[in-house]
Amino acid sequence: MIVGISLLLWAGWHNLRERRIAMQTAAANQVMLTPAAPQSASGQDSDSEEQNPGAKLRGKTAPAFTLSSLDGKKVSLADYKGRPVLVNFWATWCAPCKIEMPWFEELRKQYAGQGFEILGLTADADAGKDAIAKTAQKIGVTYPILLANEKVQDAYGGIDYLPMSFYVDRNGKVVETTGGLSSKDEIEANIKKTIASGATTAAVKGGE
Amino acid sequence: MVLGALMICAGTLAAQPARQMGDLTRASVRATSYVTYDAEPQVIEAGKRSVLALRFQIANGYHVNSHTPKSELLIPTKITLQPAAGVKAEAAEYPAGTEFSFSFSPKDKLNVYARDFTVRLPIVAAAGTHEMDGTLRYQACDHAACYPPKSLPVRVLFTAK
Repeated sequence: MIVGISLLLWAGWHNLRERRIAMQTAAANQVMLTPAAPQSASGQDSDSEEQNPGAKLRGKTAPAFTLSSLDGKKVSLADYKGRPVLVNFWATWCAPCKIEMPWFEELRKQYAGQGFEILGLTADADAGKDAIAKTAQKIGVTYPILLANEKVQDAYGGIDYLPMSFYVDRNGKVVETTGGLSSKDEIEANIKKTIASGATTAAVKGGE
Repeated sequence: MVLGALMICAGTLAAQPARQMGDLTRASVRATSYVTYDAEPQVIEAGKRSVLALRFQIANGYHVNSHTPKSELLIPTKITLQPAAGVKAEAAEYPAGTEFSFSFSPKDKLNVYARDFTVRLPIVAAAGTHEMDGTLRYQACDHAACYPPKSLPVRVLFTAK
């Protein structure tokens, strides 16, 4: 009987040891999911239409628009045909928008030699030109600021949240869209992608 | 033998893999109202200065600007209530916000309500049941994007005895 009990105890202990080892292996193999940084690799989280309503414009022709700029001129997307353009929707009340705009200004200067331009479409035209101009000045942007209307917002998928960016290549095709604030590095990568897209080999050879 | 069986059971239970964390990359874009109002009726003393507690809940993953955001351009949370017969209301009292910054710009500090918040409304009311209608204006963001300002209808129900 003693032998029997000893056998049981040994079996139990052995079993527990096996379980512990199995647990350790399982734990080692386990992948811990941590929240990704907002908009990680190439807007992959913006792929579903629900996440980024603008995503459905990828690969399509960027919708045309003619809007008023802050200095009262009429500006059309068509004015920039043949140039890579970043169409960015923002608002004076949107803090993340104002975080990325100085990066846009820097990158615009950096890539201006390749014809790159940025158009800042403000979704809060009702804030008044003065407030918008003051904000743009304070942030230090010198690229064109246009007053968006409902029509252009609808055309670009209905701007449910801000910021929303549409990267348009020289041929007027939307090569990338992002919703929400992303990193400066990601923005630069998208700009390079846009510049390279639709370019002839001759233009690409020009390099940076 | 029972002991052995028990140990095996314990071992099996312990060996189950932990649950995976849910997807935290973006709060649902489809949340129709980022802020909701707790419409539970309140009871106060008639004819005496009392304070109504207007309780609001913020959807998980979002925050709204407080009543005093750090910039003039940011849209503050503000409640507007229509006057009601037999009720004399003072100015609403808003809670202090908490500090928040977007991860890509830790130096830019914002003043927000990030969880449930209560706006206090001091009133003096005549006896009876009362209904005060109004709106809470707010503007919500998540960790990377901001949503257009919204107006939440608010109906404050209370009885003064």
